[in-house]
Amino acid sequence: MNAKGAVLPVGEGFAPAVIEWLKEALNREIFEAVLIPVETPAEDSYAYLLIQNPAILDRASPLPPVMPVQGGKAIGRLTMRGTLNKRVAAVVRPCEARAAIELTKLKQAHLTNLFLITLDCAGVLPLSDYLEDPATAGARFAEAVTQGDRSPMRPSCQICHRFSLASAPGVDLHIGTLGIDEGSAVIVPGSLKGERILEQMGVSEDDERARPVAEMLERWTTQVAEVTEAQIERRRQAHAELQEAVAGADRLLETFSTCINCHNCQRACPVCYCRQCYFESTALKLPPDNYLARATAKGALRFAPDTLLFHLGRASHMALSCVSCGACEDACPMDIPVGQVFSLLADRAQEALGYVAGRNVDDPLPLVAYEMEELHGVEQPYVEIYREQEVQDA
Amino acid sequence: MSEEQEFVPRIIYFMCSWCGSGGAETAAAHHLRYPENVVPSRVNCTGALPPVHILRTLIEGADGVVISGCHPGDCHYEDGNFRARRRVALVKNLLDTLGLEPERVWFRYVAHGEGRRFVDTAAAFNDHIKRLGPNPLKTRSDT
Amino acid sequence: MPEGATSSAFTPERLRTNQGAEETVRQLLRSLLQSGQVEAVLALGKTGTEERGVAYSLFTEPDAFAMDGDALPLLPFMPANGGGLLSRLTLGGALARPVAAVIRPCELRAFIELMKLNQGGLDNVVLISSTCAGVYPLGTAVNGNLDERVSSYWEGMEHGELDEAVRPTCRACESFIPEGADITVALFGEEDLDRQCTLYLNTERGAALAQRLEGTTVTGNSERAAIERSKGERDAFRQKLFAGVDVGMTGLIHTFGRCIGCHGCKTVCPICYCQLCHFDSHDCEREPGYYEGELRRKGGLRVPPDTVFFQLGRMAHMALSCVGCGMCSDVCPADIPVSTIFSKVAASAQATFDYEPGRDLAEEIPLRTFKEEEFAQVAT
Repeated sequence: MNAKGAVLPVGEGFAPAVIEWLKEALNREIFEAVLIPVETPAEDSYAYLLIQNPAILDRASPLPPVMPVQGGKAIGRLTMRGTLNKRVAAVVRPCEARAAIELTKLKQAHLTNLFLITLDCAGVLPLSDYLEDPATAGARFAEAVTQGDRSPMRPSCQICHRFSLASAPGVDLHIGTLGIDEGSAVIVPGSLKGERILEQMGVSEDDERARPVAEMLERWTTQVAEVTEAQIERRRQAHAELQEAVAGADRLLETFSTCINCHNCQRACPVCYCRQCYFESTALKLPPDNYLARATAKGALRFAPDTLLFHLGRASHMALSCVSCGACEDACPMDIPVGQVFSLLADRAQEALGYVAGRNVDDPLPLVAYEMEELHGVEQPYVEIYREQEVQDA
Repeated sequence: MSEEQEFVPRIIYFMCSWCGSGGAETAAAHHLRYPENVVPSRVNCTGALPPVHILRTLIEGADGVVISGCHPGDCHYEDGNFRARRRVALVKNLLDTLGLEPERVWFRYVAHGEGRRFVDTAAAFNDHIKRLGPNPLKTRSDT
Repeated sequence: MPEGATSSAFTPERLRTNQGAEETVRQLLRSLLQSGQVEAVLALGKTGTEERGVAYSLFTEPDAFAMDGDALPLLPFMPANGGGLLSRLTLGGALARPVAAVIRPCELRAFIELMKLNQGGLDNVVLISSTCAGVYPLGTAVNGNLDERVSSYWEGMEHGELDEAVRPTCRACESFIPEGADITVALFGEEDLDRQCTLYLNTERGAALAQRLEGTTVTGNSERAAIERSKGERDAFRQKLFAGVDVGMTGLIHTFGRCIGCHGCKTVCPICYCQLCHFDSHDCEREPGYYEGELRRKGGLRVPPDTVFFQLGRMAHMALSCVGCGMCSDVCPADIPVSTIFSKVAASAQATFDYEPGRDLAEEIPLRTFKEEEFAQVAT
């Protein structure tokens, strides 16, 4: 952990303090635009806006109660066709930054001239809960965050253990709030770019009570570690229960029995970037003979076909880059716990290949890298000649 | 008419166009046989076999899948077989997490001249699948 | 009742069985499969083992249509638009042997539109539809309430009334009498549906396939009054729904503000058939220079952009063929009343051309044809 850092005074409240800081940075031309969630005109949701006019920042929210669009996806769309010419600061949650890092490795985003600013995240509410009554949901969210209570948050958020700087240590800046008294937050640089920004901003090295930043950093680090450990245990427990609930053909097909093949999950996923998804392509659009043959063989054929193939196949395509953000589950109209299932698959698959999605832009993608000597357990051992009758009689 | 039909597994054997198929041809040259219900399916290189195809095969009615290609260091395309090993590792891991019997997928290197090894693999896998029984996904129409 | 798509001078018949609607339909489909007259039946059925999931399925086993079988042909639920599914089935080629499909009037209309767009064919497709009292929203299956609502649904059906819990799109739908089916099951406003069932055999093929059913030929339009009254009620509801739509650019921005750009509406829309949607294509992927230019002009820009543009563009592409099936509203994770908005725009656009999608396979889609003298007020 980098010992350098600075204090962010949070006198009037956290969100206004961050906004003021961003405005000041815009003023000093440290960056030229900010990508940050802003409340919609109808005040019923939040959307990412790329902002140059500081006045618009007044409606922005660095940690809104919902995540309708994954910030990594927004960063991807912004930079997919090339590097930004202007310096842009993206204020996002850790899972969104990790998604942006994965997209960069997949050549679907460019991080040059983009400053990633993350914040300690307590989770977001399920989108459908929020939309029922945005005003009360907002208040409920704020209360839960203050209490450190993750129970109203999305299932993915409830078991998230990568909610702070350590999950993507290479981001440019991280704003830490855990374990620190009201009235302050810390800003920690994760990169040289971040360090330079702090220098240029000339931020203070202690808080209003003249408590040195080092002490505050230590309290923050300690609290983050404590919460992380507790979350790791919650996650382990939740995944064990989930695996029990979905394992085996019967339970798995029950889980996806209500799926209507809308593919919202794939669309909402920041990592699923294919312009045309394989599962919507002509590869699976076959002459009627094929469908009838399958229907005859099985007695019936769910139509449109390939529901299970879509989910398992999508997992085989993106589980190694899945950042467990839960955007998929928010988008599902049938309340399928798809985010939880994919998160389970992702954790296991990434562990098997020694990879953590989004942690470091320099970690090579696991299906691209390989070692000569590895994964020998996958190979089927062969030690002696098989002596079954039909082979002998040949 | 026997009351219990003996279970004849449907097995797809993916083999690369180089060593994998070569192993099959060498077996043929030596008049070695393997079970008829093992169906060969040739791919250019095991590294080019999309994981989705392994999944599709298991969902659409196969009881088991074998993948054979060149030994490490012998791949015609240099490192396709290393990529294949990682892909198979991924698929087996997904199947394992979801309780879908990763043991229905075998990955074994077979060289061009290893005719015996090829037929042994096919026969051993066939018996292995017979012991495992039919794939439960096979009869599900709601996949 | 309207005539089916047949060339010979066939007189539609009406057959009344002495079994309930559920039994009649199941018996018909079971016998079609058993006799080999059809190779498969596309109908709703159970998925999974816990009785929550419902999906369309291609059934080949007659027993699926036993009273306790997996098929649920008349269930008031629409997990996918059956017209889009028929397109999927027949796009890759003509069916070698007949397949029957049990679908609702809007799904049938969608299939007719798709055939005009070269996205499917009628060869060997046997169309079975029914007069419709709507379907329940997708969420009803998720909450496990579908079974609970079904008995009140059928009570209402006999009296020609809609359950308030069916989709708003359905409550506003005046096109609930199918056109172009081989067999139409008369349900709406029909009494004693648990003891008798009237089938309209609209085509020769329909009549031939219903031959094995026992019943008597009947005449007269007993349920007509109920249908007319319901049309009036639905029209009133439709006007109310349309009046609630927020228009103008500000209105559209407010309505679609919470759109998350998942394009689920497009994916489930039966008419949106493009293999690669324009709005997902390379053409809509913006260079950084575009964003920077917009920043200069406006000071701020939503990312990803084109939220309202996608909606308007999709309207421009498909509104003339919109059949008002309501899948778009149902699938929207942000609870945007997409179907209401699109139906309102579609109604106006279609009226401009005096066009009704799905009314007639021979009627060309307005943008694919023209008259030399028309719309003089458009050209200046």
